[in-house]
Amino acid sequence: MTRVLILFAHPCEESFSAALKTTVVETLARRGWEVDLCDLYAENFDPVLTAAERRGYLTAPDNCGPVQPHVDRLRAAQALVFVFPVWNFGFPAILKGYLDRVFLPGVSFKLEDGLVAPGLTHIRKMAAVTTYGATRWRAFLASDPPKRVIKRALWFVARPDRMSYMALHDMNRATPARRADYLARVQRAMERF
Amino acid sequence: MRALVVYCHPNPNSFNAAVRNLVIDRLTRAGAEVRLADLYAQGFQPVLTGDEWQGYLACPDNQTGVGQEVADLRWCDTLIFVYPTWWYGLPAMLKGWLDRVMLPDVAFLMPDGQNRTIRPGLHHIKGLAVFTTCGASWWLTRLIGAPGRRTLMRGVGFLCAPGKRTAFAAHYLMDSSTPASRQRHLDKVAAKLDRFIGAGRQSASSRSASSPSSVT
Repeated sequence: MTRVLILFAHPCEESFSAALKTTVVETLARRGWEVDLCDLYAENFDPVLTAAERRGYLTAPDNCGPVQPHVDRLRAAQALVFVFPVWNFGFPAILKGYLDRVFLPGVSFKLEDGLVAPGLTHIRKMAAVTTYGATRWRAFLASDPPKRVIKRALWFVARPDRMSYMALHDMNRATPARRADYLARVQRAMERF
Repeated sequence: MRALVVYCHPNPNSFNAAVRNLVIDRLTRAGAEVRLADLYAQGFQPVLTGDEWQGYLACPDNQTGVGQEVADLRWCDTLIFVYPTWWYGLPAMLKGWLDRVMLPDVAFLMPDGQNRTIRPGLHHIKGLAVFTTCGASWWLTRLIGAPGRRTLMRGVGFLCAPGKRTAFAAHYLMDSSTPASRQRHLDKVAAKLDRFIGAGRQSASSRSASSPSSVT
């Protein structure tokens, strides 16, 4: 059975993001995936990289110590799905902190002669399911930082066979119909995943 | 000038601390009033909670818990960020400062009956500067698209006054930096900052006025 790690970052169960997460989890489980849901808020993930972690950042594998269970879950996965709202043209802090603390040298990338080489090549499929308060046009004008991190920086460390980035823009004015369309789109994408 | 310096690094002896000291020193010498938000030292809590999310649109109650941060943001006319770039973006601590302080009715105004989209709320901020360090090279950072720089210069920049002054400097390949490269970067930050706060222009004009070869 292939295993998927779902990284979810939203504090509230009644949110639209939580509905997206439920759709992703249920659809993938129905399709036979072994699902590992990492609900960062529910697990009280601490996103703040400490001074000690910063000092030991480059010392693999000791740098994994403070977040070893998260590193093990990441290494056990063959696929990775991010479900999060875009806040202020970026990841919620709790998800950004996951990158800061878990995507370490020796885990997600290797430093070879000062150059970055991929470290997550066991991850063959990657997807992001997001919502934006901003319109598509405004996200484009800001050059969409979270999309770039996922589609370029994370692609670079995993080189997955498949990568998709889905977004519902202008959330504050999204009608129930647009939300339902988006949920259906996410479900179709997860069925094909 | 009233400058708010938002500084984010866990290690008090880091190179970023040297940049921060330089920034504060230059601002103070130029006669600016300076407030420092040292997020790690203050133990700032970057995670927007469930309660905060539920009350996100309820102004002004949404400012509970970040009253001082909101007051600082409203007080300043110049906003300066000093931080290390991690994973091409802001450290979670600094990203959380944006999440929790850049609130509706503080940093922006939500769509309403008359307005279809989000409108800027920081038009009193007339200067925006970013000084950072990157592990990656300039080329790789550009290839990825400089997400951290754009979150601040474009995302936050959109909320500030149109025609604001801006400044940006980054030390790339930080992990192979040398004392000489770090000094060069500090000199660069100083020069950019002087131009940014206008001191550079003033001293240049006084130099050219006193220069016998100047033509007016």
